[in-house]
Amino acid sequence: MNTHRVNDIVEEFHCNNGFSDLIIDTKKSAVHRKHETSRKEDEDQSRLPALEAAYTNILLHLGEDTHREGLLRTPLRAAKAIQFLTKGYHETIDDILNNAIFDEDHDEMVIVKDIDMFSLCEHHLVPFFGKVHIGYIPNKKVVGLSKLARIVEIFSRRLQVQERLTKQIAVGIYEALQPKGVAVVIEAAHMCMVMRGVQKMNSRTVTSAMLGVYLEDLKSREEFLTLSQRTEQKP
Amino acid sequence: TGGVAPPPGPSHSAPPAPGAESGSHRAAASVMESWKEERTRSVEDNEMSLPSLAAAYTTILRGLGEDPQRQGLLKTPWRAATAMQFFTKGYQEKIIDVLNDAIFDEDHDEMVIVKDIDMFSMCEHHLVPIFGRVHIGYLPNKRVLGLSKLARIVEIYSRRLQVQERLTKQIAVAITEALQPTGVGVVIEATHMCMVMRGVQKMNSKTVTSTMLGVFREDPKTRDEFLTLIRS
Repeated sequence: MNTHRVNDIVEEFHCNNGFSDLIIDTKKSAVHRKHETSRKEDEDQSRLPALEAAYTNILLHLGEDTHREGLLRTPLRAAKAIQFLTKGYHETIDDILNNAIFDEDHDEMVIVKDIDMFSLCEHHLVPFFGKVHIGYIPNKKVVGLSKLARIVEIFSRRLQVQERLTKQIAVGIYEALQPKGVAVVIEAAHMCMVMRGVQKMNSRTVTSAMLGVYLEDLKSREEFLTLSQRTEQKP
Repeated sequence: TGGVAPPPGPSHSAPPAPGAESGSHRAAASVMESWKEERTRSVEDNEMSLPSLAAAYTTILRGLGEDPQRQGLLKTPWRAATAMQFFTKGYQEKIIDVLNDAIFDEDHDEMVIVKDIDMFSMCEHHLVPIFGRVHIGYLPNKRVLGLSKLARIVEIYSRRLQVQERLTKQIAVAITEALQPTGVGVVIEATHMCMVMRGVQKMNSKTVTSTMLGVFREDPKTRDEFLTLIRS
């Protein structure tokens, strides 16, 4: 599409003229940023010292003793941990999908449900986690099933807001496969609500994104919701 | 007191509390001293530390490749700093403040159990949450404790950078020192996000630790009764 080509040219201008490689085009909606990989994997190593220093500061200012045995290597561990928890910034859909799209004469619903999801709340930097249910109706092209879980990983391992996460997964699948419809439902517990603030232990947040035929046709949506919410029958 | 004031600058390490041993000995330092070795942080300390904490979180956001100027992240350093201070508010509290007026003389010598106390802590190795349930039982020796105070003891020690083994022991020892009961049993069952969200990534694993003191340790029947009652 033309708008994307123009945006690419603008991005290249910024990158080649010595602008910081950390620039992310915040004018585009989160869903449509072309340059999603704002962080390269091999840069992680070089960024560790800054993260370590920041964590050492945090420990000191919380009143802890950074020289006690248990905390000696905590800044390094915490830095690596948070890099892992945000590794989604490394990855794009194209990288993981390129060879797992198959032509298949199938046009019935495909559902992958109960995908465990772990993310970080971008407001408090505290985890939120839950389950993702994905359904799509192929249009002659099906995708390897684990790739749906990998798409969840790419977008969830970032600083996120649950609404945006749901939409990004749905749009990511839609753009990759051009299916007849995509539905994504996420049910999650937010530690920022459980461990602090209102401290409601059992509350869960549910968000959904319906695209294509799932948006237009009530019956397809109902079928998806019924099949994905069904729990296993215990004997 | 064993207070440690927050340092004025980033390179200044916290001075050891008077009477406390150096870092490597601290772990081995007699657990019986935990009563006196309270690290105290005040509300004023929190306010003074907030700008430095927020600056550290801004560095972290940049180091992760994010844009701290985008709308969703604008106030995140402050929110994350306040959240982290809340998660470590146990450092602000002393057992003695919480307990002083809730110990009652009562001619009761049967087991008292408070179970399924929701617990939230922070793994001191990765700075990632730990959460689970604490079950406490004790055999009073003429003195009983207000029930919610057991939960408050859990809060004081769990809202810190912790290791589950130490947390269990600290709770048991605090109750022992406050009440001198005939025995105390503490069982913690928790999920460690550092194992679930990263590393080995085992979704369903739980870690169980226990500390049995006094008659809970010596008499198998008492221990059995406690473990059965918390399971039901």
